[in-house]
Amino acid sequence: MALSCDLLILGGGMAGLVAGSVAAESGISTLLIRKGESATAYSSGAIDIIGYLPEAGEPFDSPKEGLAAIAGLYPLHPYSILGYNENVTPDNVVGVIVERVRETVAWLKKNLKNTVAPLYGDFKRNIFPITILGTTKPTCLIQKTMYSTSLQKEEESVLLFAGFKGNVDFNPAVAAKTYLEDRISIGEPPRKVGHCTLQVAPFGKSYNVSSIELARHLDHESSVDELVKQLKPHVEQLGATHVALPPVLGVKHALSNKKDIQEKLGAEVFELLGFPPSVPGLRLQLALDEVYRKKGGRMLIGHEALSYTRTEKLVTNVLARTNRREVNIETKAVILSTGKYIGGGLSGDENGIRETIFGLMTVTDAYQSAGGIVPSHYTNRFALSPEGHPINSCGLTLDPHFRPVDEDGVEWASNLFAAGSILAGYDYSIEKSGLGIAAMSGFSAAQNAIDFIKEVS
Amino acid sequence: MSDSEYDVIVIGGGSTGTAVTRDCAMRGLRTLLLERDDIASATVGTCAGMISSGVKYRREPDIMKMCSSEVVYLNKIARHITMKSPIIAPLLDLSLVVSDSDYLDAYAEHAEERDVPSMVLITPEATLELEPTVNPDVIASAYYEEFFIDPFRLCLLQALDARNHGAEIRTYCEVIGFEKSESTICGVKFYNRITGQTEIASTKFVVNASGPWASKLARIGGVELDIRPNKGTHLIFDRRIVNIGITAKSVDGRWIYLFPHENTTVLGTTALDTWEDPDSLVASFDEIEYLLQSIEAVIPSIREARIIRTMAGIRPLVPEWNIPEDKVTRGYQVIDHENGMVSFTGGKLVMCRHMAEAVTDVITKKLGVTKKCATQKEPLPGNEDDVDIEELGAEYGINLHTLERMRARRGTEMVKILEMTKDHPEWKTSICTCEPVIEAEIRYSIREEFPQTLNDLRRRLRLGTGPCQGTFCTYKAAAILSEELDLEGDDFLVDILDFRAERWKGIRPSMRGEQLAQEELAQGMYACVANLDQSDVDYDTKPWEERL
Repeated sequence: MALSCDLLILGGGMAGLVAGSVAAESGISTLLIRKGESATAYSSGAIDIIGYLPEAGEPFDSPKEGLAAIAGLYPLHPYSILGYNENVTPDNVVGVIVERVRETVAWLKKNLKNTVAPLYGDFKRNIFPITILGTTKPTCLIQKTMYSTSLQKEEESVLLFAGFKGNVDFNPAVAAKTYLEDRISIGEPPRKVGHCTLQVAPFGKSYNVSSIELARHLDHESSVDELVKQLKPHVEQLGATHVALPPVLGVKHALSNKKDIQEKLGAEVFELLGFPPSVPGLRLQLALDEVYRKKGGRMLIGHEALSYTRTEKLVTNVLARTNRREVNIETKAVILSTGKYIGGGLSGDENGIRETIFGLMTVTDAYQSAGGIVPSHYTNRFALSPEGHPINSCGLTLDPHFRPVDEDGVEWASNLFAAGSILAGYDYSIEKSGLGIAAMSGFSAAQNAIDFIKEVS
Repeated sequence: MSDSEYDVIVIGGGSTGTAVTRDCAMRGLRTLLLERDDIASATVGTCAGMISSGVKYRREPDIMKMCSSEVVYLNKIARHITMKSPIIAPLLDLSLVVSDSDYLDAYAEHAEERDVPSMVLITPEATLELEPTVNPDVIASAYYEEFFIDPFRLCLLQALDARNHGAEIRTYCEVIGFEKSESTICGVKFYNRITGQTEIASTKFVVNASGPWASKLARIGGVELDIRPNKGTHLIFDRRIVNIGITAKSVDGRWIYLFPHENTTVLGTTALDTWEDPDSLVASFDEIEYLLQSIEAVIPSIREARIIRTMAGIRPLVPEWNIPEDKVTRGYQVIDHENGMVSFTGGKLVMCRHMAEAVTDVITKKLGVTKKCATQKEPLPGNEDDVDIEELGAEYGINLHTLERMRARRGTEMVKILEMTKDHPEWKTSICTCEPVIEAEIRYSIREEFPQTLNDLRRRLRLGTGPCQGTFCTYKAAAILSEELDLEGDDFLVDILDFRAERWKGIRPSMRGEQLAQEELAQGMYACVANLDQSDVDYDTKPWEERL
């Protein structure tokens, strides 16, 4: 089978879908192929821009502050690449980077507005939502179901953590304790928390109740009433002004469920940030899919790139496959957004780190070749620390047009662009920058690809 | 300070220490076991679990004989945690058949009492039928059968059985000194790591069963004791990647093995003289490659398999010098220091009961106690009867896989756990899905088996030992531990950090392949989402994390 398009996108997480949507929006014929569920679907559903500098202990108050620090200290960081442009002068580098990221954030908010994952938050400041462990983390955008504007500000706020029997992803008693200790130590509200366990048996069973089962259950109209009925006495007994639920408010109707429950309960309700498999992650994936399709993008799910044809520094064809068939795709440009190790864009063994489709040059966190490194040697002795693990900063290095470069520092192909966690130079887990960099680089790679396609057409 | 008085204080909660405690308690001695960490937390916790027939030690016929009869005893007293596994030694070179032919005769000598067939040579076709991943150039294989045991459960059951017979078991108690009366030990001073208090207990005898720390402990007691510490490293694969056990000659001519074990496969082992601190011991790149290169000749596709972690431990060998490690006797020594302390060196997992009997005989003789050893006869807890998994499945509505794994840990005792799910059906939820382990078993273990940390729960339940290495169960189990022990919020986070650190110790040296994705996910959860890399809780740096 043969297909043709102007822009082929390999990988359909945040980076690929933003890139595809931006391209389709501008009238480019866009085809996206995706192996399976993307790593975005495994995310908590929060979109971090930049939370910390590597090794630093204090979070940034705002993405702007963070971007300025990154631009100053890490000139090859993916965010810093935005500052390499003919129109940029040394004194407006930070301004340009900030402006480009602000633009990405605005695009995301606008486009996700009427989807299952509408966003809350803005570019001016980082926010600190609560996780299912009772800890908090800095992020920039979260879904509207996941935040309370008043909880941590109002002196009189009282928070009830409510979990579900048989859903062990979230233990409300332990999260409540952990969160309260943290609030007491920094001396800020809420000063009173409580916890309760509700019983919702989606399939008549009270054990092994998964988050996705709960979410699908709550998508049915009457189930919200039952939830409210169980919650109400706990809210009244504690005098709760706010209720924190695990992220299960629904796949399709999460926001209307939130509003509905709030109204019936007389208390503000929000979802905590959770671990994979995460319902908000799934919602974000579904929302981005929808945006992309609505803008006219085409998508092949369950397809994987197998090989390619490159002539005179141009990738002209990519051969993709599913279980049943092979598809030869002719294209003018390609965006590579296949992710890191989870996504499968990179793989590594005792002989080094490889880019899995084109065999592109990979580099380490210090921008030396990662082609021959032993992965275990690029790890930290601490499992969890603000230093992270250098192995997670390995990936591709780009030219100012977001094109992966070869050993000579020049683009490997003039029509191959890259975006997302396949890029080198940052450890998203410790920076808290994952989906932000994915969106920004998807956005920028697409603009560069569009320019290229228009030029050659 | 306490003024408790004992006949025997056993120091060290490994296979030998727990066996001695059980034997002493069963013979009516007032016995205390002091363990610095947890039961089975050092050497025995890093072994492959084989209770060897001793065929490797055929040049020491007495030891072979002892090994074989101990296998028979263990199969009697702990049959719920033992299993028989077939093994092949694929031969790629005719010279091997000739040079090692005396294996067959040596093995045959005691095969009957263990109820296994004699070792036979099988054809290449038969070899490949049994295990299709063997190198097709194989010219023949030796086929034989060995027994395996869950080493953690063995130690724990010995400790619990000792407790049932009146012994006291104290974990997280580190011996820091001895009280003496005219150069004879009459008391043990120890630091309780949980309460932070120093305690003293009086005793008539001390048994030094501290394995790799035996020399250090002897020195605290004022005597010298030599051991030959020897490092052994294993690689662990994500599932049973071979149908049956494989043994092969390594690059330097030693025998190594690839054994399916529980839900995983273990490849081991190295044997290196070591002077490393047992607490900071980790597998090296060289050891990993040595094992892979060695098994690769026989299983060429081994590098396609997913390595999930490594484990490294120290064998406290008998101090024989100027000979290679595998020429050192696999027998054991009981050393009476004549100052109230008796020490062990050497030995194997399979011999732990025998070693215990030997030292308990020494002590009972001195005390004038005449009661005979019965540890080879009395069943360990859970081994009292057969368990019908299908019947339990129907009664409690839990899948058979979960039940069979629980049975292999607990035997008849599992019914107590299943009963808990009648009042709390939600406790049927799987907490560790790799193994699997349900919530009721975790709560039962916390209430009955004195774990203090998630790592202690791992030893009791195999929690976090599967392909995801605790990625998905750490936070769930930490919450349960927190609830049961009524911990503070900070302690909940410390438990998570401690367990991630402990798993990382084993994962890190072998990080490659699919484990890169697994670890990216773990970072994504615990650092990116939970922000625990930024946690300001009181975390104690681990010995293996100290900067060199």
